[in-house]
Order: sequence, then structure tokens, then C-alpha cells
Amino acid sequence: MNISQNYVDQIIQKISTWARVNSPWAIHFNSGSCNGCDIEILATLTPHYDVERFGIKLRGSPRHADVLICTGPVTRQARDRLMRIYEQMPEPKFVIAVGSCGISGGVFQGCYNVEGHIDEVLPVDAFIPGCPPRPEAIIDGVIKLLTHIQNGTRPALVIKPGIKEAV
Amino acid sequence: MTTEAYLQRAGEILAPFAKGTNNPESNRLDVQIAASDLPAAASALTDASWGYLAAITGMDHGAEANELEALYHFCEGSAVTTLRVRLPRVDCPEIPSVSGMIPVASFFERELGEMLGVTVVDTPDASRLFLPDDWPDRVYPLRQGFKPEQAASIQPNKTPEPSKAGNKFIVPIGPQHPALKEPGHFEFTVDGEIITGARMRLGYVHRGIEKATEERNWIQNLYLLERICGICSHTHTSAYSQGVEKLAQVEVPHRALAIRELVAGLERIHSHLLWLGVVAHEAGFDTLFMYSWRDRETVMNLLEELTGNRVNYSICVLGGVKHDIVAEHSASIHKALDFLEERIRYYLDIVTSDTTFLQRTRGVGTMTHAEAIRFGALGPTARASGVTRDIRLDAPYGAYKRFPVSLITDERGDLEARFVVRMKELLVTCFTIRTIVDNMPSGEIAVRFPRKIPAGETVSRVEAPRGEAFYYIKSGGGESPLRLHIRTPSLCNWTSVINKAVGHQLADAPMLIAGMDPCFSCNDRMVTVRRKDDMKTLSWSELREYGIKKYGQKK
Repeated sequence: MNISQNYVDQIIQKISTWARVNSPWAIHFNSGSCNGCDIEILATLTPHYDVERFGIKLRGSPRHADVLICTGPVTRQARDRLMRIYEQMPEPKFVIAVGSCGISGGVFQGCYNVEGHIDEVLPVDAFIPGCPPRPEAIIDGVIKLLTHIQNGTRPALVIKPGIKEAV
Repeated sequence: MTTEAYLQRAGEILAPFAKGTNNPESNRLDVQIAASDLPAAASALTDASWGYLAAITGMDHGAEANELEALYHFCEGSAVTTLRVRLPRVDCPEIPSVSGMIPVASFFERELGEMLGVTVVDTPDASRLFLPDDWPDRVYPLRQGFKPEQAASIQPNKTPEPSKAGNKFIVPIGPQHPALKEPGHFEFTVDGEIITGARMRLGYVHRGIEKATEERNWIQNLYLLERICGICSHTHTSAYSQGVEKLAQVEVPHRALAIRELVAGLERIHSHLLWLGVVAHEAGFDTLFMYSWRDRETVMNLLEELTGNRVNYSICVLGGVKHDIVAEHSASIHKALDFLEERIRYYLDIVTSDTTFLQRTRGVGTMTHAEAIRFGALGPTARASGVTRDIRLDAPYGAYKRFPVSLITDERGDLEARFVVRMKELLVTCFTIRTIVDNMPSGEIAVRFPRKIPAGETVSRVEAPRGEAFYYIKSGGGESPLRLHIRTPSLCNWTSVINKAVGHQLADAPMLIAGMDPCFSCNDRMVTVRRKDDMKTLSWSELREYGIKKYGQKK
């Protein structure tokens, strides 16, 4: 048998992408949200919308998770926690920001305890707009991210200055 | 007793301390007292069993008046007695604590201290409740002159040391429980399996909404306040609109009030079903979790049909409501309620008859009637201990006079009783919604509303799914409020969690927290069991597993 190392690597790569796309495990963190997005994320997991059919499972530990689902603006107190969770996740990791606050700060822009939106703290792969987004929108956002992972066309991340040192 | 009689009685009790009294509204009595008389005045009210402490509002009157003021609101029925204490506007004016006789005041005093820089003498815990750990000392966000932009340039304070407890074990829980409105950090001190002490820290989602309202106009605030909580968003908009309408002396059409009550009813159904699922999940009963969340979608669809949105419905506008309920809606409401009533009866049966589930709920976290009153518990948590406290009945607002609800209480006071009370409450709510739909008053759904609100102050109280929400609104006659103070029911119910956890097993902690504070959703927390030298980390799900396994062995 004459199999090159390169060929083996390709096969392993294919298998791991297949596994990743078919069972993305998620962790969810609220860094200052009003709970509206959070209950919609939970509703997405329960029988009516049943996102588990895509192999998506909510995990309690960041060590088990591939995808970090963030909601809400980032408050001063939660900023450190959010970054710690991101750090604890194994590579490769993806971040989804759910809801208007996560995208822009939403109605909480300018509040004294709000540091900003998630994009300012972590590199975000997918944004799902809405206040809160409907469960269908959340499913759509997740599937779009999975399609990108499958095709290997992960969108180029906009790394803002300061993020690199922080994470 | 009537409201007048209550107020008269309060006036008599407080007469020895009063430096001046005033009746700003027909249901309110303001009593000026000196700071040194505060504990005596508060204990006079408590000893006479006159009402309960609903909130402490701190206010800064600005550099010109050079005064701070602390307002202690006591409520009994629809009567509100406010003890007003004036303080000099210096760095740390002192005010005596009332937590000794009123345990719930401890939270309010912590808030007063950090937000306005008032030193509360002898308060049991003066550590931060809402502001971040790295917030600098001597910067008080609710003082006049503090600008939110300032926060960005503030030099961070040092991060505090983790708490130590000598030879005791401390089990910190939180703050990562993402779906909860108020991610709290709990520290349970344990002796072996038994919890011997508990304390908590909030503030992970503290955004500074009270300050933000002062910079937005009356209409913008409606949308900001709706986003205090995604679960009971309608509660906040209706409490706010009701208060502002009172200040503006605008008469809201009956039809609009009825629609508000109807949406509040639907919100209660979605909130209680959500809670049922979450607590079932904590107990390891995931089937019930999935069932109740599936059925909850019926209400969500209904809310979407009526208001256009599933979560933040925005049905309230100042002066009325945004959408009308028409004939086609009533058919779908009745149909949905038929289904829900059947399901709720089924859940009521499950939570009172399932042996495994009863092991986790019966006799757990029992709070007696006297304790519930002492801890200032509110809403279903209090009603499950036989406390007849419900703002919809005590101080009927909106359409609750026309479409009253019946009071549901239970005497047992344990977790099971809280399930029973909430499920029965849902049946009552379904009945009320049907009555409203069938007897909808005719007329307009909204009236014109002024941009500027006349100067004045008012108190607005509504019954949220979790208990009384308390709003204090002060207008200076301009386009935005001078001060808006919000006290949500969960803050009061935490006191009972903290106090009742003592003596229970650690395995009961998830159920105790979830059962007393229904604003608790998903899992995902880290628990660190800290010993002197070694450290063991349990995730929330592992702690949950531990609880489930422990009770599994008992069978």
C-alpha cells in the first residue's frame, strides 16, 4: 500500500468536517440580555422547532462546545466571563451573536454599565438580527454557519484592534 | 379596611416621628422623618403589622438643593405610605439600617449604598449587588452629574479577592446560568451535605436602565423598559404606562385596559409554563420540560397573532394599546384556551401524583406563613405559603375591577404547593381571558397623549407573573423622567431563597433556586467546590446529575 500522508490528512479533515457539521454542540451565554433571546433559543431546542434534528445540542460546559451562542450587550461585569468561556472552548470554535443587542447594543446603547456589542469583545462568525429573532431565524442563522463550515468558506473574520490581546 | 382607613392608621402609628405629612394622591401618605428615627418608625409599622416594605427609592435632588433623599415605600392593600428621609449631599451620608426587622431591606440597602453613595449603618452586607467588581469606589451612577460616557473612562478598581470562610466549604454557583434574567452568583457554605449559609451577588446583566431612562423621552422609555425582561415584558410596559398616564391625568379607554389585562393573562400562561418546564428539567424530569414547552408554543402563536411579535409584544402605548382584538381573534383565543386548559389540568395531576417528582418537591423548602411575611416574599411564592397578597385584588388596577381574578393560595408552603398554586392560577387566568374576550368593552383603543408630562411623582404597582412589580416615577414637567425606580419581584423573592436554603441538602439547591424564583431558565453554570488546598470543579449539569442520582438511590 502506498498512501501518502497528505491523503490521510485529507481523509481525516473530511471526516472531522462531516462530524462537526452534523453535531455542532453549543454553549449559550447571556452577557446582559433581557432574556427575550434566551427564551427563544430554548424554544428553538424544544419539540416545536426541534433544532436537535440537526445534531445541535446545548452543553453545560464550554469544554464540550463548538459554537458559542451569545445574547445581549456586553456588560462590564460579564465581559471577563464571556472571554473566559471563549478561551475555554476547544479549537475550532465559532461564535453566533443572537439579537439586536449582541449586534449593536440595541436599546441599551449608552448605558453606563454596557461595554458594547459582542463584536467588540469576540470575533463573531454569524449575526442573527431581531428583537428577539424568531426561532426560524435562529435556525436559519445556524444553518448558514454550518453551510460555511461544510464548504470550508468560513467568512473572513473582522478582528478589531484589542480583541487579539484579550482572547 | 378601606384605603383611607389604612392611611389614617399609618398616620397614627407614625405620628410620634413625623416632621411633616402630606397626601400627594388619594392612596398615598408621605411622612417626613429624621434619619435617626427611621428604625423606630419602621419597627412601629412592622410591629403593628401595617403592610410590608415594597422598595427603597434613592434620589439625588442635585447640587442646587444639595440634598439626597431616601424613600421607604410601605404598602398595604392599595395604600402606600412613604417614609421620606432627607440626607445631606456629601460623599457618604449615614442612614441607619432597617434590615434587622425587615430582612428584604438588605438588598434595597445595598442598592442604595452603591448607587447613591449612602452609607447604611449596620446593614448586614454592604458589598456590591449590581455594580461590577471593577467599578471604582466613590463613583455613584444615580447621582446627578454622573454621565454614562464617564463610565468608559473610569479607571478600573482592583478585582476583589474570592471569599474565604476559614475551615468551612464554600460552594459558589454561578454566574453563568444564561437564560436567567438576573444571573446571580450564589455562595453556599456547606457542612458536609448540609447548607449552613448562603449569600448572593447580582449585577452580571446590570445595564443601568434606571439612569438611561433619564436620558430618553417618555415614549422611548416604553421600549427600553419593555426590555428589562423578555419573559414579563408586558408587565413592565403596563406598569410604566399606568404610572405615566396617572401623572398626565389621561383617562385610558376601557377597551384598551381590557386588552392589556388579556395580554397580561397570556403572558402569565407563557411564563408559568416556561417555569414549569425549567423546574422539571432541574428535577431530571425532561419529559415534562419538553411537554410544557411544546404546549407553550400555543400561547406564543396566540401572542404573535394578536400583537405581531412572540416575545416583546409592545402592545402598550402611552394612552392605550397598539392593536385591537377583533372577532376573528376571539375564536382562536377560545380554541387555544380549550387545548391549554386540558393540558394544565394534566400537569396539575402530574405534579401532585407523580411519586418520583413528589420526592423532590413535597416538604422541600417549606416556608411558613409567618416566614413568608417576614422575608417579604411576593407572588406565587408567597401565595403558596398562604399569604393573600396579590396586587390584582389588593389594589385593582386597569381592568381588574371589571374583570377580577380569583385568589389562589395554598397553606403548605413547600415546593409542591408552589406548583399547585401556579397551575391553578393558570386555570383562573384562562377563565378570566375567556370572560374578557366575551365581554370586551366597546370604544377606542387609545387616546392622544402629551409629549410633556406635568411635574409630579407617582407609584405604580402591577402583579407580574412572579409577584408585585413596583415603579416609582417622578416627572419634572419635561420630556423625560427625573427619576424612575423599578423594583422587580425576583429581588424580594431571593431573600426567601437565601434564608430557606439553610438546613437543606446541597442536592436540593437547584430545585430550591428554581422553585422559588421562577425567572430561571437553562443550565450551564460552573460550580467550584473550594477546599483549603485542592479544588474540584463541578458544572451545573454535574450538580444536577448529583441531585438526581441522590434521589434515585432513595427509592
